[in-house]
Amino acid sequence: MRRRNHSRRDFLKGAGALAAASCLPVGTVKLAFADKRKDFTFAYISDAHIQHIAGAEFVRNWDRGLIRAVAETNMLNPKPDFVVFGGDLAQLGTKPELDHGAEMLSDLKYKMYCVMGEHDYYLDLGEYWSELFGPHYYSWDHKGVHFVTLNSILTYDEWTHERWPTAEQRMLEMAGLDNPNGSPFMVGEEQRNWLRKDLEKVKKDTPIVLFSHSPIQRIYKGWNFWTEDAEEVQALLKPFDDVTVVYGHVHQIQYNQIDNISFHAVMATAWPWPYPESYAQAEINWPELTVPMNRADPFFERDATGWQTIDLENGRIGMSYNLYDNTNRTVKYNPKTGRPEDTAFQDPAKRIEPQTHF
Amino acid sequence: MRKITFAGVLTVGVLCAMSLGLGQAEEASAPLGLPPVPIPEDNPQTQEKIELGETLFLDDRFSSTGDVSCATCHAPEKAFTDSPLAVSEGIEKLTGTRNAPTVVNSVYFRTQFWDGRSPSLEDQALHPFINPVEMGLEDHQPILDIVRSDPDYVEAFERVFGKTGDEITMTEVTQAIAAFERTQVAGDSPFDRWYFGGEETALNEAQKRGFEIFVNEGRCVSCHVIEQTQALFTDNRFHNIGVGINAIQEEVPELAGEFLEAEATASEVDVKVLTDARTSELGRFAVARTFDGLGAFKTPTLRNVAVTAPYMHDGSVKTLRDAVVHYNNGGVTNEGDPVNDFLSSGIRPLGLTDEQIDDLVAFMEALTSPQFADLAEEAGQE
Amino acid sequence: MTKKIAGAAFIATALAVVVGMFAVDADEFTKEDLDRWHNEYMSVVKEGRELWVSADLGTNGVACAQCHPNAANTHPETYPKFQQQLGGVVALRDMINWCLMNPLEGEALELDDPKMVAMEAYVTWERRGVELAPGKH
Repeated sequence: MRRRNHSRRDFLKGAGALAAASCLPVGTVKLAFADKRKDFTFAYISDAHIQHIAGAEFVRNWDRGLIRAVAETNMLNPKPDFVVFGGDLAQLGTKPELDHGAEMLSDLKYKMYCVMGEHDYYLDLGEYWSELFGPHYYSWDHKGVHFVTLNSILTYDEWTHERWPTAEQRMLEMAGLDNPNGSPFMVGEEQRNWLRKDLEKVKKDTPIVLFSHSPIQRIYKGWNFWTEDAEEVQALLKPFDDVTVVYGHVHQIQYNQIDNISFHAVMATAWPWPYPESYAQAEINWPELTVPMNRADPFFERDATGWQTIDLENGRIGMSYNLYDNTNRTVKYNPKTGRPEDTAFQDPAKRIEPQTHF
Repeated sequence: MRKITFAGVLTVGVLCAMSLGLGQAEEASAPLGLPPVPIPEDNPQTQEKIELGETLFLDDRFSSTGDVSCATCHAPEKAFTDSPLAVSEGIEKLTGTRNAPTVVNSVYFRTQFWDGRSPSLEDQALHPFINPVEMGLEDHQPILDIVRSDPDYVEAFERVFGKTGDEITMTEVTQAIAAFERTQVAGDSPFDRWYFGGEETALNEAQKRGFEIFVNEGRCVSCHVIEQTQALFTDNRFHNIGVGINAIQEEVPELAGEFLEAEATASEVDVKVLTDARTSELGRFAVARTFDGLGAFKTPTLRNVAVTAPYMHDGSVKTLRDAVVHYNNGGVTNEGDPVNDFLSSGIRPLGLTDEQIDDLVAFMEALTSPQFADLAEEAGQE
Repeated sequence: MTKKIAGAAFIATALAVVVGMFAVDADEFTKEDLDRWHNEYMSVVKEGRELWVSADLGTNGVACAQCHPNAANTHPETYPKFQQQLGGVVALRDMINWCLMNPLEGEALELDDPKMVAMEAYVTWERRGVELAPGKH
């Protein structure tokens, strides 16, 4: 038995410290800002996968995940500058799903930017999405940072337009993560050309944060943890000092550094996915840095799901994961080592059982 | 004004945890269905310490009005509760916000109180004395005055701790109380005899069906833990199951923010949660300050639950059947009520039939230990 | 006496000849048998895969593959083991039933249901090559 002799005060202090990452009023890690750039915070909710059963019935589990993320995000104090929805709002891209999801998102008290996911796209190629949320790719500037959103879940024209007899069939085929009939994600030439032109106006020392659904890396093709033209996109970003890519789709904690680019994955609000290395027959390029998310107890439907707050500091980010029923995690760019690191568990000696005992 | 001298351990059929001052971490034998009783290294059990603890437990002089003791709300003859009160009454019948949990088997909790704000039995004992709606003392001095001067206490503290006069502090007082509380363990229920003891006939058919539902459709076992060789019926964690907080859903963001800004100390938290009903509903959040803690309370044990009515942190659920219906509805009192945003993700509508609900209740009634069987029969007749 | 032995020997020899004609000793099988039996087995693995991606196993349209693509994270090599969610030591199919009842909001299958065998066949096939780790949490 442990912890027999704590004094009351120590006990409370300890509990508070552990909870620091997601406490109210904290949501931000504020440092004195260097340069003339102001540090700020935004929130990130992703992969809600609202799934229609019939009539007015949706899968309760995924609904609850999005409701909770929205409710907690609304409680952040100080308020975030904006919130991003990272894609896969719907499960099969249907109007009822997108509407039901949009309704829940409309409770958010902040300006929202949206990223396209494959589950939103492949039924009608993003037509209804645009009605609800606007363009599929775009950029904007905020407090000295250049933000870009890409639609990175496109695929070969032949697969998209010719292969399947119906739109529904196409959506079903792309919806299965492990479906051998799927097709790899890509950004594609049109957006790469757009991105090149967009970045011409950006100074080399302006921080860039790029939102994407697919990883802009090639991690595991079998589950489309993959962007086919990742290297070409990375090449466009290479000339800049501080670049961060934030991506969804994987439903798990991942982070990596490739040259000048930091990569951070966000959690899903719906359900977690296994790490590709847990598939015995897979060949993977695993982002070595990643300390895995804590193992989930599936009884608690929200375990290993969550949402994030992202702090911009000196042009790089710290991502605080708000994980229900679980130890919160923070992954932050470390300027000394030049890569993102988990602030508590990066050192293997500090890991806890739920991170090592899978 | 009562003082009780005392000649033996109170309840029958209980195996005491006794070590004879070896000063090492001891684990003592336990009734069927329970693991060894955990005893801390710095507070080993001795028969004399236990008796002293019991005397302190029953002593109502440790209150501002001289008529409230631990036993007022944790009455030994009521399985250490104040059933049927929903929330407890302290001095001058002042009410708090929370239901008095039983002391029986509380030794197996890793934290004490409904929100776990106390890390040990010793620490827990400090707080009711100085809470304005419990014993109402300004500080612990009146207690120390009594135990340092009353001849029976002077003699007992010397014998148990080897201390006299100013050497006697609240540490010794609470250690003795905790030692007594550690003897209140009760297992060996009909369920234990059936599940761990192999007695096929210890449960009737409804109770056996209830067990199956408990582990399957009822989704009970993940929090009210049963394991292969013992069953605590608690996971020692905190969950928002939609009791109380549903009524203040709209106010939660404001309340939580106010609470944080107030930056209360530990003692202030203790007072606030028992005297302000709305703050009380914040539950574990008042202690851990995480989103997960909003409206969350510690999973109580279900052992002897048939004699500890009414239920939940605020005593708002009157019967076991009402409790099952609350879960069956997915964390709301009335089917179709809005569910609060922070509901534990383990809670959801269950779709149980009336017969399944009855079977679950029957199963829970089989968790009563033999020493409380009479009490259970009386409770059943109300 | 000699006649009896001779008679017995004759019968034994005759039997051996007859049996030899069909080459069906109990433990003999050919490459064709192996290939055929492997296909028989894979047909059930295939059924298991179809169940795995089916939206109809539960009542809410959720499929096993949504959380367990390629049956990842099911750890068949650890069963039987203490399963926290079931409060005791259980077999793989007990946990499959737990998932059917809980995230899929459906009903448990009978333990000897052919669908259960099919799913176990699929799960273990995707996990081939991994060492046994019985009882591992």
